[in-house]
Amino acid sequence: MRLSDVPPDQLVELELDGETLLGRRGEPVASALIAADRWLIGRSVKYHRPRAAFCLAGSCGSCLVRIDGRPNIRACRTALAPGMKVERQNAYPSAALDLFGATDFMFPRGMDHHTFFVDAPRPIHAVMQKIARQLAGLGRLPEPREVKIPPARALRVELVVVGAGPAGLSAAIAAARQGTRVLLVDEQAQAGGSLLADPRHGLARAADLVATARQAGVELLCSATVLAYYPEDRISEDDEPGLLAISTAAGLLLVKATRHVYATGSYDQNALFPDNDLPGVLSARAVGRLLVRDQILPARRAVVLGAGPYAHLLTEALSAAGAEVTRIDGIEQQIVATEGHRRLRAVRVARRSDPGGKSTRIRCELLAVAALPAPATELLREHGCQVRWEASVGGFHVPTDAAGRTSVPGVHAAGDVAGFLGVDAALDAGARIGAAIGGSSGARP
Amino acid sequence: MSSRILVCRCEDVTLDDLRAGLKLGYATVDELKRLTGLGTGPCQGKECQAHVARLIEAEGQGSPHLAPFTARPPFEPTPLRLFAGVPPVKPK
Repeated sequence: MRLSDVPPDQLVELELDGETLLGRRGEPVASALIAADRWLIGRSVKYHRPRAAFCLAGSCGSCLVRIDGRPNIRACRTALAPGMKVERQNAYPSAALDLFGATDFMFPRGMDHHTFFVDAPRPIHAVMQKIARQLAGLGRLPEPREVKIPPARALRVELVVVGAGPAGLSAAIAAARQGTRVLLVDEQAQAGGSLLADPRHGLARAADLVATARQAGVELLCSATVLAYYPEDRISEDDEPGLLAISTAAGLLLVKATRHVYATGSYDQNALFPDNDLPGVLSARAVGRLLVRDQILPARRAVVLGAGPYAHLLTEALSAAGAEVTRIDGIEQQIVATEGHRRLRAVRVARRSDPGGKSTRIRCELLAVAALPAPATELLREHGCQVRWEASVGGFHVPTDAAGRTSVPGVHAAGDVAGFLGVDAALDAGARIGAAIGGSSGARP
Repeated sequence: MSSRILVCRCEDVTLDDLRAGLKLGYATVDELKRLTGLGTGPCQGKECQAHVARLIEAEGQGSPHLAPFTARPPFEPTPLRLFAGVPPVKPK
């Protein structure tokens, strides 16, 4: 359900498996489908279980669809354009009535497809291999099309900040104010990161910070994903080795930076309960993104699972948007069962101290899981930074000192990537780290 | 639908699969990845890696040093044509 009307000039048609739907031009395709109450977008690779969007941030890989003849496209990271043709994947004859869903019933105790039929006589094994090859994998090959190879561009900067969420924006601003030339890149179409899922500020806080960054001279590049840090590669023979490969709409951008700040944030995590993959189970921040960024209330009846501050904020925000909300702390109260086949219909809740005892049934079409997010450490690991395990801050994270320094000189970490902080603490950490780096890098007069 | 607790939705790896692996003596994040295929799908472990480490910490035999699996670029699904546009650079 839309919380605000879509202006007529932004209303566009899209096609989902031949059905015509309406959406808002430029919004993520996944959000348009949820607004149209079309949750099911395909089937899983092995058991052919119903699949739907979960994180709406491009990290979880569960909203893959075929778009305009290209397979395995993330619906949450594709901007809706008029006439877009979206197809559900990995199902026959349709995602709603997928015959291969029988796999899920036939192997209730699981199935090890790596060793399946290994003990069978050779001819049977060979036949099964052929069948398995046909069934394996996700999506069909793309329709033939002319492929243009965009030339890569190169850029040298003093400081690159990866991630324009609360930590990255404030770090870039603080460093730029000290006279450092800063390139700030973000994978999303809109800068702001988890600020765009924060119901306290709406979109105003992110917009203010972006304006401040531009005024301070930060060069901001959105829809730009850092794909890799290559420690041995260089732009030209005269450069020191080590460069970032960044995917942009115009092609690959190679960046050689003197210093790096990684403010890559954290990945949304699911909780472990029966059938936690049912369509309708979303990460809490995904629900926040729908409410705040996209102005969409995903369902009328909602359950929020979690005990942290964000679970409370989201419960209030859903309620203010008109939903009937129940919060389950996930500590004393546990989800012991879910109901629904292609869509969540209800959850059953029991006390942790007595999981087999009396359970309460709560009808809901939406379950927002506010589990502790996991720090996004991949790029720092490529630099060779030390990584530490600590469950209380989200798991594997990169330890730093107060100035954001990691174990590798010139490589800094700010915000959730150094251990989950949340929006407010990430803003403070970014400002502190950006100021320390800007102050130490030979500022221009 | 059979009732399952999914840890890795990309590859349909369940909590039962991982517990069975622990029972067989597989003790690290990497070993459980190789056994079950967890973390080898489109998300490359962004959603499951912390869950596996927590499970090893809580239910594993002994307390092995917990380390993430190797991060291998590119870090999101990428069309190869992007890399085809990079000119070769002679090594120094």
